[in-house]
Amino acid sequence: MVRHAPPWRLMNAAERRRYWWGHWRLAVPAAVTLGLVFVMTAPLIEPVPIFPQLALIGVFVWSTFQPGLMPPWVAFLIGLVADLVFGQPVGINATLFAAAAAFVRIFEARYGHHAHGFDWAVSTALIMIFELLTWQLMAVAGRPVPLLPMAWQVLTSALAYPLVVALCANVQRRAFGADDLR
Amino acid sequence: MDWTPAPRRQSAMRREQNLALVGWMVTGAVLATGLLLILVARVNPEGAARMRGVMLDMTTPVWSVVRAPFDGAGRAIGWAGDYLGAVERNRRLTAELAGARAELQKATADRQALVTLRRLVKVRDPARTVIGTARIVSATSASVVRSAMIGAGRRDGVVPGQPVIGADGLIGRTVEAGNHAARVLLLTDPASRIPVTVVRTGQAALVVGANRPSLELRDRVGADIALQAGDRLVTSGDGGIFPPGIPVGIIIDPAEPPTVRPAAIPVGAGYVTIEAAYLELPVETAPANPAAPVPIEARRSGGGTPVPKPAAPLQ
Repeated sequence: MVRHAPPWRLMNAAERRRYWWGHWRLAVPAAVTLGLVFVMTAPLIEPVPIFPQLALIGVFVWSTFQPGLMPPWVAFLIGLVADLVFGQPVGINATLFAAAAAFVRIFEARYGHHAHGFDWAVSTALIMIFELLTWQLMAVAGRPVPLLPMAWQVLTSALAYPLVVALCANVQRRAFGADDLR
Repeated sequence: MDWTPAPRRQSAMRREQNLALVGWMVTGAVLATGLLLILVARVNPEGAARMRGVMLDMTTPVWSVVRAPFDGAGRAIGWAGDYLGAVERNRRLTAELAGARAELQKATADRQALVTLRRLVKVRDPARTVIGTARIVSATSASVVRSAMIGAGRRDGVVPGQPVIGADGLIGRTVEAGNHAARVLLLTDPASRIPVTVVRTGQAALVVGANRPSLELRDRVGADIALQAGDRLVTSGDGGIFPPGIPVGIIIDPAEPPTVRPAAIPVGAGYVTIEAAYLELPVETAPANPAAPVPIEARRSGGGTPVPKPAAPLQ
């Protein structure tokens, strides 16, 4: 966004104000993903981890939609918040969200953009790997958890992916406009 | 979407490359920090307690407002179920009541006998203290940690390490507390360990969660005595947190390891009671030891604690 900063001296006061106030958009991807973290604490008490991993899907989708606004360090901070909110050992979601954003960055740089169905498959594979690594890292952090119940979350996350994409696409269109999509 | 036109000038291209390199270095540093944090969490699990409390205070009040539709949906489902099953339940309860009356008379007699015996041997029971009643406002059904948040915190006297009890039995214990909210570790969490007694046989054991609807019974004392499906488990009072006699669950499969169905299933649980820890474990502080050995280097450089003239030099 800084790269496209308009020439300051050529702007009148109103344009400058609009330009500066327009910076709230920088926080949109992070804010939406934090909102998804919050939604993940819905008062549904289930004995198995069945609620979809919305925050990870949010990180995935935003790092494809707005790679500049969802770099690994932002994903790391979101993961820290998720760790604190979920009561997990600090660092697990932080590491894995940052790794997911870095993965998307490499993947996009190498293979470019693709169709929705392909991204859906990649995100499902990503969630599977996320669950496996969560299983391992929880053991490293001294709180081992069983692996098998996490399959529920893979299933529900795969089902929830289109919904999160629809939400993020809607926000993207409203906040950044269709011009950026070209 | 994100691509920018390729820069024309050589310097701009180099700048892009440098920025990309810096970006990757930051990413590497971030990942390394994350792994380091995990190791820190292993060594010091209570590390971020204050931050966790702040986070609880921030998220929980929102849900206590937003949860109204969830409550309404749960209540509607409950009402519908009540009406549909009313006749059948009435018949079953009538049959149960006849049996329960006989049991009740026997229990009354037993209680009298118990009071007498206790007076004879001068048993002193620590009293159970109710800290308060709060409602479960949110949960972490999206995480590998099975926990629920209640709308009471340090301002209400709730601190980590207190038993949380529902209408049907034990719910869990508090593990984190903010000012106005606290986190309850549920029985189903893999980190939860509840010391219990099997009511029929009197064996002591641990009930362990496994991120599944059912719990496991482990480390049973006297494993040669077989359990039966339907054996009831109550808290034993060992460990000092949970008061004895609270229903924990029922054995549904006695095959080793025995499977337990929890007594209280907090599906949209309304209100829970938080009690003070049954027996506060005494906190032992290590006595300050002024005669602790000081490294030679520190003594030479004159740092460290002043040592009153070592009797004999170590070298």
